[in-house]
Amino acid sequence: MSWRPTALNVSFLTLVGWALFLGVVTGRADVVVVAIPLLAALIAGRRASAAVALQIDHRLSAERVFENERVSVTISVRANGRAPLVELLEPLPPGVELERGSNHAFFSLQPDEEVRWEFTLRCRGRQRVRIAGPHVRWWGPLGLAAAEARHRASRAVAVYPHVASLRHLPRPIRTQPFVGNYVSPAQGEGIEPGDIRPFAPGDQVRHVNWRATLRLGTLHVTQHHRERNADVVLLLDALTAIGPEGETVLDRAARAAASIATAYLARKDRVGLIEYGGHFRWVRPASGRAQLQRVLDTLLDATVVFTYVTRDVDLIPSRILPPQSLVVALSPLLDRRFVRAARDLAARGFDLVIVAVSPIAAARAIAPRGAVADVAARLWALERRAQLDELRRDGLMIVDWDGVGSLDVPFAALHRPRTRRLAAR
Amino acid sequence: MTRVAAAIVFTCLVAFPLGVLFAPPVTWLAAAALVVGGTGVIVLSMPLVTAGASLALIAYTLALVVAQAPVDLLAAVFLGTTLLLTLALVHFASRVQGAVVAVPVVVSQLRQWLIVAAVGVVAAVVFSAGGAAVAGALRGAAIPVVVLAAALGALLTVAGVISLLTSRASD
Repeated sequence: MSWRPTALNVSFLTLVGWALFLGVVTGRADVVVVAIPLLAALIAGRRASAAVALQIDHRLSAERVFENERVSVTISVRANGRAPLVELLEPLPPGVELERGSNHAFFSLQPDEEVRWEFTLRCRGRQRVRIAGPHVRWWGPLGLAAAEARHRASRAVAVYPHVASLRHLPRPIRTQPFVGNYVSPAQGEGIEPGDIRPFAPGDQVRHVNWRATLRLGTLHVTQHHRERNADVVLLLDALTAIGPEGETVLDRAARAAASIATAYLARKDRVGLIEYGGHFRWVRPASGRAQLQRVLDTLLDATVVFTYVTRDVDLIPSRILPPQSLVVALSPLLDRRFVRAARDLAARGFDLVIVAVSPIAAARAIAPRGAVADVAARLWALERRAQLDELRRDGLMIVDWDGVGSLDVPFAALHRPRTRRLAAR
Repeated sequence: MTRVAAAIVFTCLVAFPLGVLFAPPVTWLAAAALVVGGTGVIVLSMPLVTAGASLALIAYTLALVVAQAPVDLLAAVFLGTTLLLTLALVHFASRVQGAVVAVPVVVSQLRQWLIVAAVGVVAAVVFSAGGAAVAGALRGAAIPVVVLAAALGALLTVAGVISLLTSRASD
C-alpha cells in the first residue's frame, strides 16, 4: 500500500504555474506571492508515513432472503493509530439496491476508537449475491495524497425466488401410501365417509351406521376413505430465458415453482424438482421444511445452459419421477424439446399439468416500442393461443399464466377429475 | 453544505480583481471566471473550478497592471489562501457527495485547512522577507538578467514540487 498524489495536485500546480508565470511576465512580486500558500500546501500535503492499519468487521443481517427482502450490512472499523480521514466504499453487486443509508462513508478515527456504520440493501431477483467487503482509502492532508486497499471479507446472500401463497392447486389424481390431505379411493381409516356394507367380525362398533341398521334390520357399518398424500414433481424448463434480467421467463417460472412447492409441502405432500435444461438437475421427492430448502436452493441456481443435445425424460430415474406422481411442468413452451418431453410424459400416463408461462410480456420489456412491435406481439399471442389449443386437443392439461399475476386465478379455473370418480371409472 | 461554502469562497475569489479595478476588461474576465468556476462548483468539477480560478488570477494580475496598484503582499497572501481553500473545498465536496460523513470528519478537515492556510501565510511572509534580501543583491543588475533569474527560479520551483510529489512513499 502506497500513498499516491491525487488530481488535486494538478489543480494546485496549474495555479502555481500561472502565478509564477504572470509574476515573472508582469514583474510583480505580489502575484508571485499568491503561489506561496499553494506551494506550502503541496509540500505539507505530501505524505511519507505509513497508513494506519484498520480492523474491519463486516456483518450481514441474513444469509438467506427472498426476493425484494432487505439485508442490513454492518461495518465496524477500529484504527490502531490516528486516521484523520478514512473513506470506505462497499460496491453494490448487480441486482441489489440501496434501501437505507449509504454504502459510502467517511470517518475520522482516533487511536483504538471504533465506529460502526450500517446500511440496508434490497435484493432484487433470484441470485447469489456476493458482498465482497469494503474498499478503504486513507486521505492525506487536504486530500493531496491517498492510499487504497481492499478489505476482503466475502459474504454471500442467497436470494430465493419470491413465494406467493396459493389457495388453489391442481389436485393429484393418484395418491401415495402416506398420510396426507387428499381423500384416497382406497377404503380404510379416515374421516371421509364412503360406502355402507354389512357388519363383519372385526369391525369397530363406532363405525356402525345405526340409521342403515334400523332400516335394513341387520348391522351395517360405514366405510371411510383414507387421507393420503401425493408425490408432486415440478418440471422446470431451463432451456430458454427471455426478458430483462431478474424478470426473465425462467425467473418467473422459478417463482411459480417455489410457490407451488411451498403450497404442496404445506399439505404434507412429497415434492421433487427436475430442472430440464442443458444439464439435468433434480431433487428427489420428499416432504418437510428441509425439502423446501433443497428445492429453493436448486431453483436459485437454475439457469440456461446452451446445448444442442436433446435429453430424454427416460433418463430420469423412477425414484426421481415416481410413476404415480403429479407432474407440474413450468415452461414458456418455446423450445420444441420441452414440448416433446411433455407429450412423452403424458403418453406414458403421467398426471401432467403444464403451466404455460407467457413469454410475450417479458419479451416486450426488452424489445423497442412501436407499432410494428405491437403487431408482432399480437400475432405472437394468437400463435401461442393456437399452440396451447393444439396441446389441449392432444389431451394435455394446460394452465395459461401471464407470469405476473397470481397463479391462483388460472389454477382455480382448472377443472381436474376428482380422485374418487376417476377410481370408480 | 460544503458546496455552499465552496460557492461563497469562490465568489470572494472573483471579488479580488474587482476590488483592485472595477472596469473592463477586468470585469469581463471576472464574469467569465465566475461563470466557469461557478459551474464547476455546482457540478463539483475540479477542472472547471481550476479553470475559473486561473481566470480569476489572470483578472487579478490584469487589474494590478492596468491600475498600476502598489505592491500589496497581504492581499496577495489572502488571494493565495482563498485559492487554496476553494480548491480544497470543491475537492472535498466532490469526494463526500452522497456519502455518510461523520461530524468529526468535518471538524478534522476544518482544522487541517486552517493549519495549512496558516502555514501558507507564514511561508509567504518568510518568502517576502527572503525576496527583499535577494532584491538587494540584484540591485543594479540588467533587467534581462533579473527576468531570466526569475523565470529560472519559477521553473525550478515547479519542477522541484513535481518531482517531490511524484516520488512515492511506500510502507
